[in-house]
Amino acid sequence: MDRYNDVATEIQRLIKETLDAGQGFRAYGSAWSLNNIASHKDRMHYNGFMNISMPIHDVDCHLNSNYDPTNLFLFECGNTIKEISETLAENGKSLKTSGASNGQTIAGCISTGVHGSALDVGSVQDYVVGLNLIIGPNKEDIVYIEPHSKPALSDEFATKLNARVIRDDNMFYAALVGLGGFGFLHGIVIEAEPMFLLKRYVKKMDKNIAFELASTMDFKNAVFTIPEETDSDGKGKRPYHFKIFINQYSDDPNCVVELMYKKAYQKHYPDPFPIIKESLYKDLIYLFVKLAENLPKSIPFLVKQLRNTILPTVNEETTGMLKEIFWDAPYQGPAFACSFGIDHKDSPKAMELFGKLTRDEGPIPGIFAMRFVKQTKATLGFTQFPITCMLEIDGVLWSESEKIMSLEHFSIRMIEVLQQNNIPFTLHWGKNNGWAFSGLLNHMYAENAVKWIDERKKLLSTDMYDLFSNGFLQTVGLA
Amino acid sequence: MKQLKWLLIIVSCAILTSCYSVRLRNVNGTPQPDPFSNRKDYYRGMAVVELDTIISIKITSKDFTYLIKEKEACESGKLNIIEYRNTFGGVLLSAITFGKKRKVTIKYVCEKPSN
Repeated sequence: MDRYNDVATEIQRLIKETLDAGQGFRAYGSAWSLNNIASHKDRMHYNGFMNISMPIHDVDCHLNSNYDPTNLFLFECGNTIKEISETLAENGKSLKTSGASNGQTIAGCISTGVHGSALDVGSVQDYVVGLNLIIGPNKEDIVYIEPHSKPALSDEFATKLNARVIRDDNMFYAALVGLGGFGFLHGIVIEAEPMFLLKRYVKKMDKNIAFELASTMDFKNAVFTIPEETDSDGKGKRPYHFKIFINQYSDDPNCVVELMYKKAYQKHYPDPFPIIKESLYKDLIYLFVKLAENLPKSIPFLVKQLRNTILPTVNEETTGMLKEIFWDAPYQGPAFACSFGIDHKDSPKAMELFGKLTRDEGPIPGIFAMRFVKQTKATLGFTQFPITCMLEIDGVLWSESEKIMSLEHFSIRMIEVLQQNNIPFTLHWGKNNGWAFSGLLNHMYAENAVKWIDERKKLLSTDMYDLFSNGFLQTVGLA
Repeated sequence: MKQLKWLLIIVSCAILTSCYSVRLRNVNGTPQPDPFSNRKDYYRGMAVVELDTIISIKITSKDFTYLIKEKEACESGKLNIIEYRNTFGGVLLSAITFGKKRKVTIKYVCEKPSN
């Protein structure tokens, strides 16, 4: 606790120094965001080494807390998902979900709304129960915020953090996906759950059935079932995770899908790791990019040739803990990803439109995937639909040429296509997109954007409001 | 002349195929990050220690152990990833010195320190 508080003192000193210099300040972690959300032209603080963690004990909980204290943990901002998962596993616990990867810091995850494809769980921010923010250089500028409707920690515990307690639903849910604008996010209290296993299947599925499932989420009455994953009536069970991969350049009537089912933890299960992990020859990626830039018509052929590398192996079955299933990311080279949050009922239509756009005005060196996430309570969480389909295109980063449009132009065209077809959408805060698109913020969040700005103004002094603003917030109209 | 050509081809193949890397990585643990790293390879964002040297050992020594110590680029003093490179030149050097001089070409990344 003393070391944790020493860090807070040092961060306040840096904030004071920045304020005196009339500059801006932004913290960043693993630098996984694909836009400038985690950057500032003036001063940036690297949080990666700030990885203190502590369990919350029964005596630290609020009298009205409904949480099981054994599930509560305080993590300092720079803990990565992998570090947190290992700490939790030592305590017999697990995260409820991750961003289908493990390298992001916890502060980065929740500040940008990182999600997996846990359709009944939500995103990473949805199991956060309290936030410890540093909002200025003065004594009263260390705050602990949690919802008034769902208190977790006692005032005495907050006092140990030298924090002033704010119990306010509107403030908490605005600061939750705070985009780095609500101050320096020092600590995050999360609710974990007892360790569990996931059984992962990779299957080929008729595209029509996959889209039917995407729009209904009715796994019980679906034509598609996995014999091991049916109930006593032979009906399909609801998966923990559902992901559809779509190669928009292929006329194959089938697509690859990934399903995971939650299982009780048991000590003995097959080793989920292979003996070796192969990486793609890096020059092959550069060759792909060069071919894509100069001979865009070759992209569908190249995607087809690389399908075994891009897509998971069909009929693969793996069992493991969440931290094992979503292990280290293999590819570390230049990449792009644009991700749209869409009501799952609109997702087949949106996918059809994006596929057509990419074929007609592209091709673009990437393929689509659809993931499904439960609604968030965060004011600016992009998973705002009852079940949000995160429709994303991932691929290798290319440069604009006479023969291929730029990523920025492609992003804008995707936004235009959704608007023209009256499909409501949001954008993943940590990914590439046409962030400067006119009227985008109002189109996506309307009054929620106003609420977010109001709560931010309520929490921060005018000086701190400016200090914690950056180019990204200004571009999208949030500062 | 024809035999010389074949000899050159065989030697070239031997040199090319005997130059390779092997990487070992812990399933658990996190590599020590380096926020100032500009690497764009497998080690993006990691604090990588690279060693390319020749170790001389005594005539009475059978082998040697290179010690990974705590330092700025290895704050924990514990390994997370290690990659060693085997080269034809290294094998040749060891052979002609009867194992007394050994070329060591390794990269390693230590565990991220915990607080």
